[in-house]
Amino acid sequence: MITIDHLTKRYGSTLVVDDISFEVEEGTLTVVVGTSGAGKSTLLRMINRLVEPTGGRVLIDGEDTRTIPEDALRHRIGYVIQGYGLFPHRNVADNIATVPRLLRWDRKRIAQRVEELLDLFQLDPAEFAHKFPHELSGGQQQRVGVARALAARPALLLMDEPFGALDAVIRSKAQDDLLAIQRRLGTTIVLVTHDMNEAFHLGDRIAVMDQARLLQYAAPAELLMHPADDFVERLVGTAERPFRLLSLTKVQEVLEAGRAEGEPITASESLHEALSRLLWTGRAALPVADAAGAIIGQVSVGSILRHGRPLP
Amino acid sequence: MRPSSLVRLSALLLLVIFVTMPEAFAFLFEPLITPGAPAIYNQGSLFALTMQHLRTVCLATLASTLLAVALGIFVTRPSGAEFLPLSRSLVNIGQTFPPIAVLAIAVPLVGFGEKPTFVALFLYGLLPIFENTLTGLTQVPPTALEAARGMGMNAWQRLVQVELPLALPMILAGIRLSVIISLGTATIGSTVAAKGLGEVIIAGLQSNNIAFVLQGGLVVALLAVLVHDGLGLLERIAARKLGRSLDETP
Ligand SMILES: Nc1ncnc2c1ncn2[C@@H]1O[C@H](COP(=O)(O)OP(=O)(O)OP(=O)(O)O)[C@@H](O)[C@H]1O
Ligand SMILES: [Mg+2]
Repeated sequence: MITIDHLTKRYGSTLVVDDISFEVEEGTLTVVVGTSGAGKSTLLRMINRLVEPTGGRVLIDGEDTRTIPEDALRHRIGYVIQGYGLFPHRNVADNIATVPRLLRWDRKRIAQRVEELLDLFQLDPAEFAHKFPHELSGGQQQRVGVARALAARPALLLMDEPFGALDAVIRSKAQDDLLAIQRRLGTTIVLVTHDMNEAFHLGDRIAVMDQARLLQYAAPAELLMHPADDFVERLVGTAERPFRLLSLTKVQEVLEAGRAEGEPITASESLHEALSRLLWTGRAALPVADAAGAIIGQVSVGSILRHGRPLP
Repeated sequence: MRPSSLVRLSALLLLVIFVTMPEAFAFLFEPLITPGAPAIYNQGSLFALTMQHLRTVCLATLASTLLAVALGIFVTRPSGAEFLPLSRSLVNIGQTFPPIAVLAIAVPLVGFGEKPTFVALFLYGLLPIFENTLTGLTQVPPTALEAARGMGMNAWQRLVQVELPLALPMILAGIRLSVIISLGTATIGSTVAAKGLGEVIIAGLQSNNIAFVLQGGLVVALLAVLVHDGLGLLERIAARKLGRSLDETP
């Protein structure tokens, strides 16, 4: 668990991070979102002490990060930045091996780990291990950047706009891949973005920042239904709000009895997906199938609408 | 074999044959001399003088490289940043002071021979290496440095594993420039009795023998072309690893 405790950063007389406290549960993905200049990167960089706090502290599993030597702390925390910062003079395998080498793992263990990570990120070792960063596409560079950050199996991964340089299609794939890998490895992630869609897509919890302050720290649904103030409400987007809410809910949760006609939808899909299929096919209800493909009920426009307009 | 490597090899071969058995080329120089005068330099071995010349240049460049790179590293660290303007002016003085004047000043201090030449070449070679080291180090992508810091590399590891390798092609280009300048400049060392190819040229001037002057000049020129080419090759290898050719600065 990561505890951010009254963290403050001041440059001269300007407050860049103003007395922020929150906790990140083990194995969850927290998104820090806010407008440009809100202090998100500064907050993130105080966690691995790339920026020294003016006040407050950060605890990792109860251990004050100030008691750990800087470099040792950073060996334990993965870090991915916009643009990735791959080393242009090192090939993919050597880039990924950076932290294990700093930790003096033996050769065999490093080679094994590199291969494992390349597989995990769907980069064929035979093809990619010896390529240099300039020979990779943006999406491949991004995957190498994350693989490098995960090389020494950090329990915590910090990501600063890791998808900022990708086009929309690749970005959405990269987000899904990150979620899959996070679920699989159980890594705790703190991710900074200014993209609200990204925040809702990825976040178990979302921290909204504006002008150095933390306005709200809550689960996505909570943020939608009970925004702490006007700024959060505007940021969440009044027009998109119901659709975001639908995206957060699974078909499973509004399942009703019945046998509608048509192509079935899987119970683990979101209501957003179900509604869009209903609109497109012009039907009033769709059959719902479980993971194995057996029909287990139906989902109707009426049930989705009822869910999309929660009573206060 | 590619045409470029063919030219390279022939130039090298020509140089080696010429300095080891210059008499074989006597027929080329005979038309240039007054009858009775020697057509080929006869006051010492051309080969030995060439080696001496190279030795002086190599030692001086090595010394310039060590100081200039160390200085370049120092002034790009946070602790050394305030010395940047001072170092720049010092290195610039080394360059603007004519080597012949350096020789004149150095002789009373260190005596005749190789030493004053070494001092002149050393001072003269600093600037290109220093400036290129600075450029190379300041052009390291900031994201790479940020990532290096974020992964827990300490200052030394960042320098050795990230900054210097990325600056290497630029530094090599500076060294190449410095060597080329020194190869030519070293000929004036013979005015203060340093052994080198300048001797051949000066002997030619004193006895009014154009053949000698040409021979000295020819060997220096061939050396310069070969060294230029060889170091250029090295730079391209270093740069190719970084995925860019030297002409396109990022
Ligand atoms: N080293 C520094 N010295 C002075 N001011 C700084 C420094 N670093 C950041 N700031 C200021 O702190 C504020 C917050 O910066 P920060 O990079 O944390 O914002 P951000 O939320 O990450 O913005 P963006 O979305 O644009 O990346 C900005 O106004 C910035 O100018
Ligand atoms: Mg930022």
